[in-house]
Amino acid sequence: MELAPRSAYGGIAEIGASDPSILLHETEKSNRKALMAVTARAFQLWRMRIAPHDSVSDVCRIADVKRSTLAQQLVRGKVSVPTIISIARGYGVSVVDALSEFNGFEDLPAGLTEPTDAELLSQVSHIDILRLLVARSEAQESGSESPLDLAPFPHRASVRAWIEAIDPGDLRQQLAGSTGVARQNLSAQLTAGRLAPWIAVQAGRIAGVSLASGLVVTGLITPEEGGWPEDGRARALRAVPDLDLVLLARDRLDVLGRQLRRTELDDGRDRAIWENLG
Amino acid sequence: MTGMTIQWAALALCAMAAAVRIPGALRGHGRTMCAALLLLTLAVGLSIAPVYNPVDALLGRFNGANLLLRLTLYAVFVLLGVRVAAAFASSLARRLVVGPFGLAILGLTVAATLYFFVASELPFSSVGLGAFEDQATVREYAAVGRLYPGYVAACMVLPTGLSVFDRRSRPIHRVAGALLSSSFLLVVVFVVLRLTPLELLDWNVILPFSAIVLLVLGLGLIWLSHMIARRHSVQDNGLS
Repeated sequence: MELAPRSAYGGIAEIGASDPSILLHETEKSNRKALMAVTARAFQLWRMRIAPHDSVSDVCRIADVKRSTLAQQLVRGKVSVPTIISIARGYGVSVVDALSEFNGFEDLPAGLTEPTDAELLSQVSHIDILRLLVARSEAQESGSESPLDLAPFPHRASVRAWIEAIDPGDLRQQLAGSTGVARQNLSAQLTAGRLAPWIAVQAGRIAGVSLASGLVVTGLITPEEGGWPEDGRARALRAVPDLDLVLLARDRLDVLGRQLRRTELDDGRDRAIWENLG
Repeated sequence: MTGMTIQWAALALCAMAAAVRIPGALRGHGRTMCAALLLLTLAVGLSIAPVYNPVDALLGRFNGANLLLRLTLYAVFVLLGVRVAAAFASSLARRLVVGPFGLAILGLTVAATLYFFVASELPFSSVGLGAFEDQATVREYAAVGRLYPGYVAACMVLPTGLSVFDRRSRPIHRVAGALLSSSFLLVVVFVVLRLTPLELLDWNVILPFSAIVLLVLGLGLIWLSHMIARRHSVQDNGLS
């Protein structure tokens, strides 16, 4: 299941600034618009450096970016982070290095570390956790643990699970304080399974984890690009003792139960309106 | 002139809203709302002279069409009241409309309407009984005819209005809730204003018919969202 990054911000990439001080004002004005772009000027300087002889249309062709999309972003003076990532990929430039050219992401390469076990576990789906739990229960009789074949990530709950995994206790508060994005807006983003790249990186800074992790779990960059080892999740999951695995499964089922209850409530309300007035 | 335009607009909208629901109703979906909209179309039509006059001629020119209009409108409000209360999960509103108290009010209203109608001298067809407004019984008849819709609308303002502020609800349903709520509020405002000595002039027509337009638009949005949902109904089991 290839979960597209949901383009984390769909069509609202226009507002946004590479300068955090501007962000403070912009985001408070409109809490739906999230920071997602760098200035067109910084983008042009960078483009000149990585592709000095290519025109904008060459760049679009090589990066597989729609020409109209980039043109529109340039006219508005803001180029979105996914566009930059596509171009970096197209030219074989390290995505992390490319992003570090822009305001707000400068410390990205230096802040690249191995993901923590908690982060790795947060990206394992509840189904895989339950599967391992069942496998271990049965293995006590047969004596062997079946190999792990984990579902790819990020998945729908990736962002929220990651935030919860790295939270030192007041992450949301600190995040709101340091980015100027209202907590309500943060919650809305997490509920929708997304997080503006700049905020995702800032979360990593606050929690003291790899700065690329936030970009990985929001699906903007691939785990390999973000320095996540390929078998990291399987290794972390295998190392979990039985008791912790049971508790982990319980927590995940808890979250799932709450989610389902909410969905059912929403569905019930929609149905009431449709069946009575539709 | 504005009055005339909005009356015809309301009639066209009601007829359209009823018409689009007929195919579904024939298959058994949303029969009650389809019936309510058909009745509303009839009521709106009977408020307009070009429809009223031929219908009244058919009924014997004693203004039976106006009585029909009143009773139709009560029926529309009962159906609407029950359905809106259920849709927006307000058991209080439901009880106020079809609980013992609500039914008592409905009974009294119908009885008073019949009594005042019979007690009036109505020798020839006149749309809205405009020609007989000098009779006290005709004025009472009209007042009673406004009070019941006003009462039901007052019960509906809050449940529909609250739905607008529900952040978890679908945007289209919040807009529909806003339209319905404004519609009911307009009815209440109109009824209250008519209790004051103010001369409403054109607003006598504009207020109630705007309310009808808003109501039909709100119901239309809900119908649309239901249609879309039905078309896209991929059975999600929530666990996948």
